[in-house]
Amino acid sequence: MNDLLFDVGYGHFLVLAAVLFLIGVAGVLIRRNALIILMSVELMLNAANMTLLTFSRMWGDEGALSAHTFALIVIGVAAAEASVGLAIVVAVFRGRRNVDVDKLTTLRH
Amino acid sequence: MSDPQTWSFAGLPALLWIPLLPLLASAINLIFGKRIGKPGAGVLAVLAVAGACVLAGVEVFGGLFYHATKEAPPLWQAGGITQTAWSWLEVGGFKAELAFRLDSLSAVMILIITFVGTWIHIYSMGYMAHDKGYHRYFGYLNLFTGSMLILVLAANLPVMFIGWEGVGLCSFLLIGFWYENDAYAYAGRKAFVVNRIGDFMFLLGMFLLYWAVKSLDFNDIKNAANITVLHDSVWGPHNSHVWADERLAAAAGICLFGGACGKSAQLPLFVWLPDAMAGPTPVSALIHAATMVTAGVYMVCRLSFLYSISTTAMIVISTVGLLTALVAAFIAFAQTDLKKVLAYSTVSQLGFMFVAAGTGNYTAAVFHLGTHAFFKACLFLGAGSVMHGMEHGGSTTPGDITTMGGLRKHMPITRATFLISCLAISGIFPFAGFFSKDEILGGAWAVAGHGTPPGWPQFYGYLLWGGLLIAALGTAFYMWRLYFLVFSGNERSEAAKHAHESPLSMTSALAILALFATIIGFIGVPHLEALHGIPSAFHALSNWLAPAVQHAWIVDATHTLPIGGEGSDSMTITLMVIALAVGAFGIVLAWALYGRGPSARVAHWVEGPLAGPYEASKNKLWFDELYDATIVRPFKMIARGLFEIADRFVIDTVAVNGAAFVVSLFSRLSRWVQNGQVQRYLSGLVVGAAAVFLVTDCHRHPAFSISRQGEELRLHAEPGAGIVGPNVKLHWHLDGSTDCSADKDKPSDPPDLTVRRGDVGGRVALCIDDAIGRKMNVVTAEVPTEETP
Amino acid sequence: MKFLAWLIAAALILGVAGIAAPSLVHAQPVPTAERPAGQAGDGPHAIVTKTHPHDDIVESSGKGMALLFWIFAAASIAGALFVVTRRNLIAAVMGMVGSFIGIAAVYMMLYAQFLAVIQMLVYAGAIMVLFVFVIMILNRPEDEPVAPTGRIGQAIGGVAILYLVARLAMILMNVALPNKAIALASPAPIMLPGWGSAGGSEAVGWGTVKAVGNDLFGPGLFPFEAISILLLVAVVGAIAIARPLHPDDGTDADPGIHP
Repeated sequence: MNDLLFDVGYGHFLVLAAVLFLIGVAGVLIRRNALIILMSVELMLNAANMTLLTFSRMWGDEGALSAHTFALIVIGVAAAEASVGLAIVVAVFRGRRNVDVDKLTTLRH
Repeated sequence: MSDPQTWSFAGLPALLWIPLLPLLASAINLIFGKRIGKPGAGVLAVLAVAGACVLAGVEVFGGLFYHATKEAPPLWQAGGITQTAWSWLEVGGFKAELAFRLDSLSAVMILIITFVGTWIHIYSMGYMAHDKGYHRYFGYLNLFTGSMLILVLAANLPVMFIGWEGVGLCSFLLIGFWYENDAYAYAGRKAFVVNRIGDFMFLLGMFLLYWAVKSLDFNDIKNAANITVLHDSVWGPHNSHVWADERLAAAAGICLFGGACGKSAQLPLFVWLPDAMAGPTPVSALIHAATMVTAGVYMVCRLSFLYSISTTAMIVISTVGLLTALVAAFIAFAQTDLKKVLAYSTVSQLGFMFVAAGTGNYTAAVFHLGTHAFFKACLFLGAGSVMHGMEHGGSTTPGDITTMGGLRKHMPITRATFLISCLAISGIFPFAGFFSKDEILGGAWAVAGHGTPPGWPQFYGYLLWGGLLIAALGTAFYMWRLYFLVFSGNERSEAAKHAHESPLSMTSALAILALFATIIGFIGVPHLEALHGIPSAFHALSNWLAPAVQHAWIVDATHTLPIGGEGSDSMTITLMVIALAVGAFGIVLAWALYGRGPSARVAHWVEGPLAGPYEASKNKLWFDELYDATIVRPFKMIARGLFEIADRFVIDTVAVNGAAFVVSLFSRLSRWVQNGQVQRYLSGLVVGAAAVFLVTDCHRHPAFSISRQGEELRLHAEPGAGIVGPNVKLHWHLDGSTDCSADKDKPSDPPDLTVRRGDVGGRVALCIDDAIGRKMNVVTAEVPTEETP
Repeated sequence: MKFLAWLIAAALILGVAGIAAPSLVHAQPVPTAERPAGQAGDGPHAIVTKTHPHDDIVESSGKGMALLFWIFAAASIAGALFVVTRRNLIAAVMGMVGSFIGIAAVYMMLYAQFLAVIQMLVYAGAIMVLFVFVIMILNRPEDEPVAPTGRIGQAIGGVAILYLVARLAMILMNVALPNKAIALASPAPIMLPGWGSAGGSEAVGWGTVKAVGNDLFGPGLFPFEAISILLLVAVVGAIAIARPLHPDDGTDADPGIHP
């Protein structure tokens, strides 16, 4: 137990990333507000980034540094996706006056 | 003149034309009848039957003439005329041809059928003149005649069965002729169903015979005694002659007789005949008096050689016949419907005929059949005439004798013919019934004492004789009761007062039939040694029939016993006198009680001491109720139960609705999966991922197995899921040591290893070096001491 | 609200501390050579240059780093939970920001300095602001957190997620990674050829701006250009989608841009 608490190793980082990822998943599944869902998606991307960086640190050589570039690209993609997603939310809201994904359906139950 | 055997017309043998003429007329009447119109259809029908009659006469007498003049052996001794139309069935080894046979027995039958039939057709033209189903009636009637002729002329059992079924069908059609009335339609249905039961027994008999003889032709069956076969009967293997096996003949005979019970209305299948009076009266006359009901008797006589083998079958026939005669006579006492009395009388007389057949006296059976055809047809037609008159007088229940009376004044011709027929049926000399009934009684007496066939109790003949005598007494009584109640006394209703005689078409038929009922008896005078002077024509019938029927008991393949033994003259005359006395006594009794109409004395008796028997008789001994309770109602309950369970529940609810329910259930489940919400799909994804983890979790523990094949040991390692692949290093320790520290730098061993038994100790250990997990797992296992399969 | 402010403040302080901590640790003098390498529980060790990273068994520098890790991990997780459970959208956004701060601190511990700062700048600084703008546009800051129906589905999903967490944790804890502890010493410095004095190689720290920049504009040039085009497309697309089509098509807070 002491081992786990005091000798913080890469496993800890990976578990942290996994936990963040799964909280993000839970958020996507549970929440009905589109904005919260988008935020949860951002959270998932961050967790993935963290995993990437952990493994990069683990190998720790020159080649592993390209993971940082990768992570940077991921942040860029996340930004683009967030902006477009938010634009869609705004557009939908204009039409439907509602951002509840449960209500944003034309499929008959 | 050519040999009648070769006669043919338009490619079909002449014998086939006898039934074919009425059948063709029937087809024309049924299809074009409406267009032909009112007397035309009737005329056509009459001409067809008359033509058949003429043709029959030509065949028979022409054949006799030919054989007499051409110095060929006498026609009937030569086996008669057999003509084959074509081959009808050929299935495997079974062959049935459409073959017709004219021998003395069938000659008698076709002459009677066509002759009586012609007069009944003529009568019907008058009777049905106002009916709107005129052409249909004549179509059916001709169809019936044709079928009956096929039955009688058949040379093998399948063709006879065609006729058998045909007459059953026509009986149904004609009984329910006025089908708008539900009761009549039900009567027709009842007749058909009860007949069907008989037909089933007939089929069983046919199957038994085919199984034994491998053929259903009458000649083949008759000659089967000459065939030596090794065949297995139901009761074990049996060698040699087929017909020496009495049990087979008994079984087949009884089954076929079961068919006869249905067709000829014997106990227990007689219940349809009284209900059959719902049909038009000429139908009752033709079908249920003269012809169809005699088909059973004909069949028994036709297969006389079969029955002569089996005294068991004979005793069954005689007993059933006797019981039927008594029961029917008893029921007839209290009936008040004119035709019903006659119907029960028919059943009773059929019982007589079957007793005759059952005692081996086939000649007497056929004789009584013939005489009965005439006087019963006359009685029925007379009844029809009476009812016709009552209808014209305004009666709504023309058959009810309680409303009749005094009709002798209004319908003299009918009365005269009716009287003659009643005398005939009561067995009064010199009318026809006297001779025929006497033959039967004499035959019954003769099978007692010395002439007892093997297997019968000695006294049985006397029992039959006594019972028949009582039945004859009853016959005379109820028939004369009927006569007196209808014709004597005073009119008991307005309708009777206004009744009038029937038209010529009807009365002429009555007259002809009454004439024959008077004189026909004289062809069957018994052999009396004291009466040498009587020309041989008077014994014609027995001589005539001799070649066709078997007059001896077949005890075994070589040994026969003559039927009836030899009776003395005095015995014969005594019996005749007794029979006559009994008949006369019955008439006197009826006259005493009913001579001037319904009697107060009888009414008093039926209130008091005779109340029980009277009720039993009036209610037909509750036969219908009995059948209804024991057979019909349970059958209906079973059918209802099956309907509820199998049809409603299993098929409708479980299968059909259940299938729909299952489909809708699955559709509901599938709909749940795809509802358009992405979150639900993602949930599926997550749950699926968790499931994958769960599944791959199961196979965690590294293990290995050892299997022993003789002197070899096969080691197989399973390092565990998820930690397989090139990173895993395995080290086998064949000495069983679990110290893996020395293994770190060694190269990996293969996961499957085969070693010899001698190389290993008691245990084997496997060190698994997991480079990623940085762990060293050790697994050990014992070496098996025995072979692993 | 106040509570949140305190929380954010605490996170900031700890974040700064965390950022400074490794360098503080690094400032410790290198002990004498008598200390053999590879002994557990001692003070910080010298930077060891290894040829193969798998054999780099370096001990942790002690409980301090562990404590910092736990604090920032807790902050990240707490922030994430805020996002998932808060009814108030603004609260959710604040939670998100706190989570990002914690994540940035963790990145620091992983010697990804450049990325930590980028994370703060881009994510917490720009993307979250974007979210706040949209929340204001929608003018509906409240929301029902959990759907009132479908409990069974939620229960199943919840169980599945918990199971995944547990399983992943077990796997990740049981898999022994090459380095057991956080190596406080940074990984080997990167040699950048041609950047050094007199044409030699300059040694830059692992994870610094220079090192990442060298990789980004060298081998990673194509992704770099691609991401810029992607961002351009995203901007254009966002404008195209969010543009009102009719003059009166705007929301309450947004009167719309006349086309």
